[in-house]
Amino acid sequence: MEIYVLVKQVPDPEAIVKVKSDLELEIENKYFTSFFDEIAVEAGLKLKEKFGGKVTVLTVDNRKVDALRRGISMGADDAVQIADPALEGSDQFAIARTLSAYLKDKPFDLILTGRQAMDDDAGIVGPAVAECLGIPHVHSIIGLEVDDQKREAKVVREVENGKEHLMCPLPALFTCQKGLNTPRIPLVMNVMKAMKTQIKKIDLASLGLSQEDVGSQAVRVKVQRYLPPPKRPSVKMIKEDFPDNVKTLVKLLREEAKVI
Amino acid sequence: MKWGVSMPNEIWILAEQQDGKVKKIVLELLSAAIDFSKKTGQEVSALLLGSGLGESVKNLSPFADKIYLLDDPSLIPYTSDLFLTSIASLVKEHQPSILLGGATSTGKDLFPRLAMHLQTGYVPDCTGLSMGEDGKLTAMRPLFGGKVFAEMAFSGAGPQMATVRNNTFLVNDKPDRTAKVISVSPQIDPATIKKTVTGFEKAAGAKLDITEADIVVAAGRGIKAPENFKIMEDLADAINASVGTTRATVDEGWRDLKDQIGKSGKNISAKLYMAFGISGAIHHVLGIGTCKTVVAVDKDPNALIFNYADYGIVGDLFQIVPALTEELKKVLSTE
Repeated sequence: MEIYVLVKQVPDPEAIVKVKSDLELEIENKYFTSFFDEIAVEAGLKLKEKFGGKVTVLTVDNRKVDALRRGISMGADDAVQIADPALEGSDQFAIARTLSAYLKDKPFDLILTGRQAMDDDAGIVGPAVAECLGIPHVHSIIGLEVDDQKREAKVVREVENGKEHLMCPLPALFTCQKGLNTPRIPLVMNVMKAMKTQIKKIDLASLGLSQEDVGSQAVRVKVQRYLPPPKRPSVKMIKEDFPDNVKTLVKLLREEAKVI
Repeated sequence: MKWGVSMPNEIWILAEQQDGKVKKIVLELLSAAIDFSKKTGQEVSALLLGSGLGESVKNLSPFADKIYLLDDPSLIPYTSDLFLTSIASLVKEHQPSILLGGATSTGKDLFPRLAMHLQTGYVPDCTGLSMGEDGKLTAMRPLFGGKVFAEMAFSGAGPQMATVRNNTFLVNDKPDRTAKVISVSPQIDPATIKKTVTGFEKAAGAKLDITEADIVVAAGRGIKAPENFKIMEDLADAINASVGTTRATVDEGWRDLKDQIGKSGKNISAKLYMAFGISGAIHHVLGIGTCKTVVAVDKDPNALIFNYADYGIVGDLFQIVPALTEELKKVLSTE
């Protein structure tokens, strides 16, 4: 099977992210590979181990390639970075157009990615790439079984009141959710190897894209301003002894907060 | 194609339904749309797809000026393949200025792909929307799991699309519209129908998903053993709540992943969230940032969770939870 995994290096969940000015964020220099993307890499590797073939990790990023190295250290065969100064300021749809321009003439059976990147939490790129390529997608899968001969996949999708089972012909794109698998921890030896792996670098011109297709001028929604999270009033501690504290809590919830 | 010449065109809400019943988020969005329309004079329309939708039409009617009804057995169960072509062709025909849906499993599956298809702007998972007199939306959404928020503006042609979290808007309790029902035949292109739903495993219990419930009660590792969640279920039953949890108990295999609140789980926007024996790790509290009222109960007076709560009690959950359940039952039964 020919599998492509779309990955992104994002600020670590512990990293401090603050509003610097209306249009600028201050992000602590602490990055990791988006957790759901690692689940996608793991899913790709499992299929490769079963059916043979190749796993390629792919990112659109002008600077950070650590997510690619993480993919290689986990066992991916190839790594591709799409980078170009014109990509600065791109939104998720421009990223999706860029990825699709690269993928459209590749002989892929399956494209995998995380259900959302853990920075913008948007969940747009996966389904948007599928739309550009005209292939089916399923969002937020927690189960995946591929029939290589029939070229189809059985997937399980998480929905509000249960789990939905779907049959989907390949090629397809799936976005991966926690619960699908547990990503492997790469061996130190492989981490060393990944550091030296040659990463293929692709620019926009070689994809037949121009500046008009991407970057800030192609954006259809833009940040007007960043804001800190709304502040909660400081906590009211109920200091009475048990069981009076419980009675007071219920009273406050009913009469002050009016939520029960 | 010209969008929104002079008076902006209609506001459309995707009326997601389940088993013929409209989801609460739909009524919340229609209520917001009615408020917006008072500013702009736009018509509010619900877009209803499925089969056997009599009850849904009845639910929606007071909340909308129009219902575009696509009633066809082939439209259930939902897949993006089925919905996308039908909705896209309707959008091209009527050119609504706004198209909103819930940030649900359907909304998150369909909207990004539809926005790409329509080449239009889309803001996902919003926790606030406001309307300008010119019909331009401003959408608020959390980034980095809620560490910062961004106010987003739309530019260019095409409908302004957004998905919105549950409980962002209140349901109008005196809706006064009467919708005109417009039946539309679905545009189903067999060439684009690739996925088929082959089965459904309904989650155990009748409780709402934690993203949809008005009240969520949760316990973390402080509950010590999976069987102890019984006291949480009892509390939830008393106030029609759903039971959430933390990453730690999910990783231990005590609780199902679908109930995990936080960064690698779900973001909830409940009206009331009560946390028991949850220390308040950043992963967890990021997931409750948009809850209206938060109660925290923990043995440790220095637990971080108290920094994110409106009301706090330092105490033992095994003592507090059953007593709270009894007290709530008592006061609610006297009503």
